[in-house]
Amino acid sequence: MSDSETPITAPEDVQMQREAERLEEPVREAAALATKLGLEPYPVNYWIVDYDEMNELIAYGGFQQRYPHWRWGMQYDRQQKQGQFLGGKAFEIVNNDNPAHAFLQISNSLADQKAVITHVEAHSDFFSNNEWFGMFSKDPDAAARLARHGETIREYMQDPEIERAEVEKWIDHILCLEDNIDQHQPFQPLSGDEEVPEVDPEEVVDQLGDLELSEEVRQQVFDEEWLEAQREDEDTTSFPAEPEHDILAFLRQHGMRYDPDAGKAQEMEDWQKEILEILRAEAYYFAPQKMTKVMNEGWASYWESLMMADENFAAADEFVTYADHMSKVLGSGGLNPYSLGLQLWKFVENTANRRHVVEELLCVDGITWRNFHDTLDFQHVLELLEPADLVSSVDPENLDSIDPDDPRIDAEALEAAQNGEIDLEKYPWKIFTYEGMAERHYSLTKPANLGFLNRISMEELERISRYMFDDSKYDSIEEALSEIDYTVGWDRMREIRESHNDVTFLDEFLTQEFVDEHNYFTYEYMQSSGDYRATSTDYRDVKKKLMLQFTNFGKPTIVVSDGNYRNRNELLLEHQYNGVALDLEQAKNTLERVFELWGRPVALRTIEKRYDEHDIEVARRRDSEPEPEETGLEIRFDGREFTEHDVEWSKVSHLAATDIDYDTKPEEWLA
Amino acid sequence: MGLKDDIERYKQVGENRRQDLAEFIQYGDLGRSRRDSVQIPIKIIDLPEFAYDQRDMGGVGQGEDGTPQPGDPVGEPQPDDDGEDGDPGEEGGEHEYYEMDPEEFAEELDERLGLDLDPKGKRVIEEKEGDFTDITRTGPTGTLDFERLFKQGLKRKLAMDFDRDYIRAALQIDGWGPAKVFEWARTEENVPVSKAWVENEYEEMPREERGIYADLEAMQSEVEKTDTAQRIRREGIDQIPYRREDERYRYPEIIEEREKNVVVVNIRDVSGSMRQKKRELVERTFTPLDWYLQGKYDNAEFVYIAHDADAWEVERDEFFGIRSGGGTRISSAYEIAKERLDEEYPWSDWNRYVFAAGDSENSSNDTEDRVIPLMEEIDANLHAYVETQPSGNAINATHAEEVQQYFKDSDNVAVAYVTSPEDVTDAIYDILSTEEEQ
Repeated sequence: MSDSETPITAPEDVQMQREAERLEEPVREAAALATKLGLEPYPVNYWIVDYDEMNELIAYGGFQQRYPHWRWGMQYDRQQKQGQFLGGKAFEIVNNDNPAHAFLQISNSLADQKAVITHVEAHSDFFSNNEWFGMFSKDPDAAARLARHGETIREYMQDPEIERAEVEKWIDHILCLEDNIDQHQPFQPLSGDEEVPEVDPEEVVDQLGDLELSEEVRQQVFDEEWLEAQREDEDTTSFPAEPEHDILAFLRQHGMRYDPDAGKAQEMEDWQKEILEILRAEAYYFAPQKMTKVMNEGWASYWESLMMADENFAAADEFVTYADHMSKVLGSGGLNPYSLGLQLWKFVENTANRRHVVEELLCVDGITWRNFHDTLDFQHVLELLEPADLVSSVDPENLDSIDPDDPRIDAEALEAAQNGEIDLEKYPWKIFTYEGMAERHYSLTKPANLGFLNRISMEELERISRYMFDDSKYDSIEEALSEIDYTVGWDRMREIRESHNDVTFLDEFLTQEFVDEHNYFTYEYMQSSGDYRATSTDYRDVKKKLMLQFTNFGKPTIVVSDGNYRNRNELLLEHQYNGVALDLEQAKNTLERVFELWGRPVALRTIEKRYDEHDIEVARRRDSEPEPEETGLEIRFDGREFTEHDVEWSKVSHLAATDIDYDTKPEEWLA
Repeated sequence: MGLKDDIERYKQVGENRRQDLAEFIQYGDLGRSRRDSVQIPIKIIDLPEFAYDQRDMGGVGQGEDGTPQPGDPVGEPQPDDDGEDGDPGEEGGEHEYYEMDPEEFAEELDERLGLDLDPKGKRVIEEKEGDFTDITRTGPTGTLDFERLFKQGLKRKLAMDFDRDYIRAALQIDGWGPAKVFEWARTEENVPVSKAWVENEYEEMPREERGIYADLEAMQSEVEKTDTAQRIRREGIDQIPYRREDERYRYPEIIEEREKNVVVVNIRDVSGSMRQKKRELVERTFTPLDWYLQGKYDNAEFVYIAHDADAWEVERDEFFGIRSGGGTRISSAYEIAKERLDEEYPWSDWNRYVFAAGDSENSSNDTEDRVIPLMEEIDANLHAYVETQPSGNAINATHAEEVQQYFKDSDNVAVAYVTSPEDVTDAIYDILSTEEEQ
């Protein structure tokens, strides 16, 4: 790519232009380096913005144009305060789009800019290759789409026929349900009115009258029985046939609005339908990002750190700033998706590499899974695995000794370097191929991972050896390791980033070894002592809790069960109970919003956990935990007031999942 | 429209939902605030959603130095830190805060408790002489005739103001919508209300509050219409509409500019009998008093004195936390207070407030022999003693009573009793209104 094509845009401002020029080279080289490392990012357009614009972008979820809403203001306010207190992190903003758009803040240091650029390239690779992002659309055209949405809603707000406050409230109602979509299905736009025209029997009677049919015909063909059947049909119609996860779609198709002046439900206004569909589309657009947060952030952090630190993309004096930036991002308290993701990817890489090495070693005559740890000199193994001098260091003065046919060498680049066309002092990686890069950055011989190989458990060794056929292929360790494929770790990582989301990622790769290494533990609230206690360090428990946090956006599953509940066109929602109770207060507040979108009474069935005061008291004395009683509960809101009543277990038993248990309290704690 | 608009809307939403001031003083978390900035929690600003019960959900943590073992308490879980990507408002459960400076706090408290403390200027900081007594339409800001501006503004306010509660009540008449109420208010009641206001009020009104009056008569028998003058006398005014055309600038004659400066002495019993609950009550009472006075005066200084049988001066940060053993001799604190005030805050230049708090226990005869004479000797706008006894009276806790008895005819001594957080606002009112009556 020639300089003139470098995709950086800056406003007509001397300083901004200068920054754009300064960043041209890093942008071009980061993309080249990413490709060298096996990544396939969408092309990225970079924009230079100032501090205020950056904060606006952050407030708007990474885009320049959004619909008017107070929550962007709230986000901005938080951002400002965080900036004040945390000393302004260098933010990376990149949009899932082809080409992707990313933003660079003018006041950032060069080190921060480079960090952002490398991070962005990796995100862009993730967007273009992860199949969950394909669920919305292969070509999301996101910026333009969101800007269009903003424009439409803004026009409605300015329409003198429509109250602005009404529009705002309508948006609020819908946003309360933005996670209640079917994110595992591709987005299906609902454009016109898809409703199947319904037959209103009374109307039919009228129409029959209008047809001026002879009484005989009328009696014979459209007899009372037929009409009755039509009426019955209407009465007993219960829909949807299967529980519907996309509540927003259901409301868009069958919902009405409540008209307080008329005191009854009316058809939604056109603007209401359109806004509902717009916000539903946005919910689908943002869903993949929410579903792959751990993976995506970890992925970007992994490659950023490799490019910046290991490949010296940051100059020596920039590196301190960079390391500082990195520790801020990764060390920001609580369960941090960046650091969990980064740790998991490194673990995936190490595990894939180790497996490959172990497979080779077990083919050495005399080495079995039983004697593996006793026989092997791991120090020696690691020395053998050490990347060759050819890839580990580059001496620009001494290029002639390099064999251009070596698969690890990019012959073209080598020639260019010999002709002085490439600055190898600055970009030594340019003379390597992907294979060369993989060996250069081989994980198992990095200082941080030296113990990883010999930490392999007997179980895993046995598991691997079970599938070995030729266990005496090699005579010596040296022979076994001479043909090691250094790319297996990265190959495996790219495979995984294609098909997984956070839930499947955690499910598959979280192991006891990982949990132990990183000190993860679970905690639960104790009814008896009224505080939170650590409950387990078993990886299965940690996994359970993480799955709960990441499955379905970490939200309970609520489905539409019946759109003609009580035969009165009321809406019945059901909570598919997985053993973790609903926040009932919030659920009631949300039901009020659902009412506004349904126009008629709404009800929610769930299962409530009740603790008996006496049981708690007893548990407290015995230093154990009380067992709750699970009871079916129905909450109904008719537009004025709530009614709650217990329902028979038989009516909710289908909601209770019996095969999962998210509780990590040790058995012996239970009373 | 644009982000500015969104921020404006957010502020409006936030302001409407901040915790009520009295509730905040009584039960709120005072610890987040600093002396110059009061942080009042905003009630859940985020939209509701179907969510798990936070407690029932449990979670995953990461140990820093070693992993906690099953059974170890782990503290309250922190909300996830993920302020980016397309998911604003994901940090559920997090508190937002509405920031007030002490001026606003004092204003709000005046309004909320119906106080009207008028601080007196004391120390003369500047004297100016001039021949001109002219009034012009322009001039340096310092010479603005604010009183005139205020009066004009007040007139305007009176002309525009109306009884909001009364109109609001009309919205609660069964079957009356905003359009009907607007028409009624304008034509029948001759009230200068805007249509937008009526509609907005109607929107804001919780559904269950609508339609509680059967008809207009029912409403009128419940709600009395008050005229503007009465209402302002009762509730005060929060905002005066100033207009440029009302501005007049005065060329000064001789004006003594006096600075409204105040020194507040906070005295607290830190002896063994002052347990956690009592300490909290003192903090709840003193902290808002500090904010209030700081908001009222141009310049506020604070002196903190802790005492058991002896007294010593401390920094504010330590003041509410200290606990010592020892007995109690309240006069020791007044001795230090007198010394400090006489040395640095002469009565001619400073407004002085001396607030003491404790559980009324004192060593025998100290109140009568030493404290009361000292209180008489120390000139002050106001002396106050706050008794904090969460469990009612102890037998020998008579200090408050003795002081009250002795000074019952005095107009600058207040005694207040606080047995629970509920009493705090009353105590603050008692204390601050004592001076007002002077």
